[in-house]
Amino acid sequence: MSESPGNVQGSLAALYESLQTSVLQLFTDPTQLSPGQAVLVAASALFVGAVVWTCCGGQRRTKVKLRAEFTPGKIYYHVPPPVKAIPCLTPFGMKLETYLRMADIPYEPMYGRSMGPKGKIPWIEYNGEAMADSGLIMEFLNREKGVDLNRTLSDADKAVSRAFTKMVEENTYWGLGWYRWIDNFDQLHHLFEVPWVVTFFLWYVRGNIRRTLWAHGIGRHSKEDIEGIMEKDLRAISTFLGTKPYLMGDEPTEVDAAVFGQLSELCWANHDSYLHRIVTVDCPNLQAYCSRIKDRYWSDWDQLTKKTKKDQ
Amino acid sequence: MSESPGHVQGSLAALYESLQTSVLQLFTDPTQLSPGQAVLVAASALFVGAVVWTCCGGQRWTKVKLRAEFTPGMVYLHTLPAVKAIPCLTPFGIKLETYLRMADIPYEPMYGRSIGPKGKVPWIEYNGEAMGDSGLIMEFLNREKGVDLNRSLSDADKAVGRAFTKMVEENTYWGMAWNRWIDNFDNLHDLFEVSKTVMFFLRPFKGRLQQTMWAHGIGRHSKVDLEGIIEKDLRAISTFLGTKPYLMGDEPTEVDAAVFGQLSELLWTLPGSYLHRIVTVDCPNLQAYCSRIKDRYWPDWDQLTKNAKKTKEDMSLYSEIFSM
Repeated sequence: MSESPGNVQGSLAALYESLQTSVLQLFTDPTQLSPGQAVLVAASALFVGAVVWTCCGGQRRTKVKLRAEFTPGKIYYHVPPPVKAIPCLTPFGMKLETYLRMADIPYEPMYGRSMGPKGKIPWIEYNGEAMADSGLIMEFLNREKGVDLNRTLSDADKAVSRAFTKMVEENTYWGLGWYRWIDNFDQLHHLFEVPWVVTFFLWYVRGNIRRTLWAHGIGRHSKEDIEGIMEKDLRAISTFLGTKPYLMGDEPTEVDAAVFGQLSELCWANHDSYLHRIVTVDCPNLQAYCSRIKDRYWSDWDQLTKKTKKDQ
Repeated sequence: MSESPGHVQGSLAALYESLQTSVLQLFTDPTQLSPGQAVLVAASALFVGAVVWTCCGGQRWTKVKLRAEFTPGMVYLHTLPAVKAIPCLTPFGIKLETYLRMADIPYEPMYGRSIGPKGKVPWIEYNGEAMGDSGLIMEFLNREKGVDLNRSLSDADKAVGRAFTKMVEENTYWGMAWNRWIDNFDNLHDLFEVSKTVMFFLRPFKGRLQQTMWAHGIGRHSKVDLEGIIEKDLRAISTFLGTKPYLMGDEPTEVDAAVFGQLSELLWTLPGSYLHRIVTVDCPNLQAYCSRIKDRYWPDWDQLTKNAKKTKEDMSLYSEIFSM
């Protein structure tokens, strides 16, 4: 027994020495790194990363890189670049940009993958400051630019439109995320227009999303239950819309930006899915509604989606 | 350089051999386990656990213990035990139980330690099967018992009811969770009726909730932004309710169970908070609405809450509930 402590400590010490040698090798001449050394360094890096991540409570504080020069009063709008299927792969990007177009607020799109100050996209730069969250940005711009898309609504109608906004963004949205990242993951690299090698990175993101869906609660349901929940949400929107051109009446209001943001992804970026079936076959008024908004506010849709990175 | 591969592999082999010896020692005579061996075994176990957890996407599958005997057609409602402040500390428990009372569905409350099949409470046992999620349970019981609290509503009104339900459960809910577990954690022992020592052991679940809310997105906001969001939700409900006795009109419907579930927690378990201020001072019709439902469907409220008794078993139940 007296040998065992020495054995453990001895082998740990030898391993640590190997790690030191490997790290030194990595920085002096990485081409000479042996497979064993590479694995050891990678595993150690992952371990340290996991410890740090756990201690930070999984929260990554994003340091945002802002423009050195800006035009006062101009909105610099950070969003992922268009793909062939849709001008923006995040429903919140479709929402915010549709709002900007509805409100006639000029903006400059900054296509890229930089994350905003809350670690998400879209986000904006305005007068040298970074702002995040599509809803908070819209409230800010309403005040700043004197815009009110909801001015014709009664207070009760404004309340109803908030309820539908929250339902579609805090419930239906997760069903889309589940379908895209978990159920239909094999097709994701096609949609994102990235080489299949990037799929390895997407696997890692998928694990995070699965955890998020579980923690949220919706990920604990069976596939059948999730699809049932999604279907009920979409049918509720369809029923409430009825034969009206827009959700709250004859003219678009803020909720239409939010709902179009989510539904556009289902209409154009999720073909052959049960979600696509619901918004086209089962509830054709939803497809007509989306086309109506697309035609009115996204006259450059084809121009944006044709000239994607894939062509270059 | 030709020595390095051997060196790495050699030390890894030695370590593996030490691990084998340590594990064997653990099972034959753990009293003889050296500190070094104990650390090695513990670290290896943690590592394997972390790998498995990552691959599974962090999901824990809950094995539910069901009753050996049951009465066919009886709803056995598994829910949190009452505290002095409120009959049930989870808004979804208040919601489900209020629905059962609104729909006149007999049920037997089972205050116990078990978590439901989806890792949450409340849950029910019905004809020997376990079911989770208050919304899905309500849909099932509607079909099973021929109940329809929404029968007087138009289709458009049913849609509005669903929208308000989802807003209050998928958005407003986080405001309550944040205030209770993160902002006001130091006072939680009062609400849970336990000593501060017990709360010390529940502290990791505060961190877990923070992680959950971060991943969800709502936890990334500043306190000011978050409170603003929740306030707008509550004002929307208040505005839509107006002077009506219930959300959709003169009689209660399903959405009232959901909204009452959430608002009751704000009204009776978060005194002194901005949430309490909104549902009482800023929007007094919300307080009147909650009292109306409490008086009509919870005449035994005082009886349930006065007899609240805290036990050690209840504490372990709380810790399981909030371990997401």
